[in-house]
Amino acid sequence: MVAYTVKRLLQGVITVWFIATATFFGMHAVPGDPLAADKEVPPEIWANLQARYGLDKPVPEQYVIYLSNMLKGDFGISYTQQNREVNDIIAEHFKVSATLGILAIVFAAFGGILWGALTALYRNRAPDIVIVFLVILGISVPSFVFAALGQLGVVNINNALGFTLFPVAGWGTVQHMIVPSMVLGLGTMAFLTRLMRSSMLEIANSDFIRTARSKGLPATRVFRKHQLRNAILPVVTVLGPSIAAITTGGFVVEMVFAIPGLGRYFVQAVQQLDYTVIMGTTVFYGAFLVFMVILVDLVYGLIDPRVRLE
Amino acid sequence: MSALLEVDDLRVEFDTYGGTVQAVRGVSFELDRGQTLAIVGESGCGKSVTVQSIMGLIPMPPGRITSGSARLDGKDVIDDKRIDGKDIRGRLVGMIFQDPMSSLNPTMTIGEQIAETLQVHRGYSHKRALARAIELIDMTRIPEAAKRARQYPFEFSGGMLQRSMIAMSLACEPSILIADEPTTALDVTIQAQILDLMRELQRDNGMAIILITHDLGVVARMADEVLVMYAGEVVERGSVDDVFYRSAHPYTLGLRAAMPSNRDDAAQELTPIDGSPPDLFAPPAGCGYFARCPHAMRACETEHPRAFELGEQHRARCWLHHEDCDVAADEVFRK
Repeated sequence: MVAYTVKRLLQGVITVWFIATATFFGMHAVPGDPLAADKEVPPEIWANLQARYGLDKPVPEQYVIYLSNMLKGDFGISYTQQNREVNDIIAEHFKVSATLGILAIVFAAFGGILWGALTALYRNRAPDIVIVFLVILGISVPSFVFAALGQLGVVNINNALGFTLFPVAGWGTVQHMIVPSMVLGLGTMAFLTRLMRSSMLEIANSDFIRTARSKGLPATRVFRKHQLRNAILPVVTVLGPSIAAITTGGFVVEMVFAIPGLGRYFVQAVQQLDYTVIMGTTVFYGAFLVFMVILVDLVYGLIDPRVRLE
Repeated sequence: MSALLEVDDLRVEFDTYGGTVQAVRGVSFELDRGQTLAIVGESGCGKSVTVQSIMGLIPMPPGRITSGSARLDGKDVIDDKRIDGKDIRGRLVGMIFQDPMSSLNPTMTIGEQIAETLQVHRGYSHKRALARAIELIDMTRIPEAAKRARQYPFEFSGGMLQRSMIAMSLACEPSILIADEPTTALDVTIQAQILDLMRELQRDNGMAIILITHDLGVVARMADEVLVMYAGEVVERGSVDDVFYRSAHPYTLGLRAAMPSNRDDAAQELTPIDGSPPDLFAPPAGCGYFARCPHAMRACETEHPRAFELGEQHRARCWLHHEDCDVAADEVFRK
């Protein structure tokens, strides 16, 4: 178990290094310049600025300098925002993104398992047909549409109540968090519902469920102790990739709901070729996702006795 | 004394997209205490559906019991065409299945799975049930029972798993053990061990066994009585000697001809039964075996044969036994 964890973490470090390298060279291959301004800058000043930020050196040398700084935990300073270190940007805004993401994944996982189990229990009857239809909607409609619809819904609720129960945008209180995290988790919830449904149905027809019934166990016990636990296993497996889906989906939802999360800086940085912020956010998100996937695998080993972590 | 289990004219249907399948078409039999009844027949002839109906294990819908009764220990178990199996399953009747590898919950320890039955039926505490589970595992000759009880199914071999299944099904000391092709998925040496174990436990506990199989060798080794099923019906029933040495139905003869023997004439060729079983969506009006029977007569196509009494326990559904039949039954069956 310990050896396995160490091995996975080492692999994770290599993955993150790969992400950093690919992003670094990809970013420098894009035409343009982080210091380009609307106003014409005299060439001498421009050259000074280049030297100040180390952009006059050949790209491979910049790469080595960047990596060594990164190993020291220094992601540099932003090229476009006044006086801000990338570390500060991440520290300040990742909290927000992480809160949003965690709420969304919890909502998606519980919802997916609940609806999936329900559809399987009511197979081919009205609740199943309705939920499966909604699931297809949830998977195919992009999150910015749900975000806009969510805001419309919030406005209607507030108007009907006569006071602001859920703010339409912004961040800070629990009321701010509920609607965006539901919108963000919706697609993943739909996907997990479908997975849970097929998993439940497969388990329901399996030999060991027949055995459990032949032992004369009450239906609730068969469901709880034999069907549910085995049906959840595939759902746990895809939780890792689902966290990735939710994090990347978060950029759009943060934008629509004006949430000061990291996603906004990520997108802005790419538009403005803010090299250090692109690198910082990409490497940080990459490391975060790799870590989450490892964590899910470790948890899986605890749930399924057949999985040996070696 | 009445029989332990009496099944009378059981009929089971399944609704499918293609129509209604008449899977079991009027099956009757009795089972006495401590006896072993073998049900033989090819795949799809209704063997498993028959016993699963008695256990209340067939899904309803699409399944339906259209008529018939079953009395276990004098008490009706089929009520209003529905079965309330909770007193029967696990408590009065234990069951083991064909594929032990997939018949146990992969994420629960063997001990827990055995203990569960005791907790539900006997109201044992978790601790007491586990202790009893270890005794049961030991009873099925699995070494290091206490350690084994804490292991998961994937840590067991196929034979060990079938032993655990037996331990589980016998936890509440049922009066009947139903074994649905218990050795089909196991290799031959393990098969023999499992059958021996079942016989030993039967001798110790006095339970009756219903053994479903298509292996006539297993029947000869284990059974007291035999039901031969074909197309959802019992075509012949009787003691092992009746069915093997005084076969009275052409299908039984066909099964015997298709079975390898270890007699001297090793060059003996096996004769398969030509054709395939009838469509149970629309079962034939006459004898189900008509299309494949080498001795078929005109009456067999339209008239459903009744069960002819041939001995005290021996019955066969074949018109050849009718007193007006031109063909002497003896000539067909005494070869």
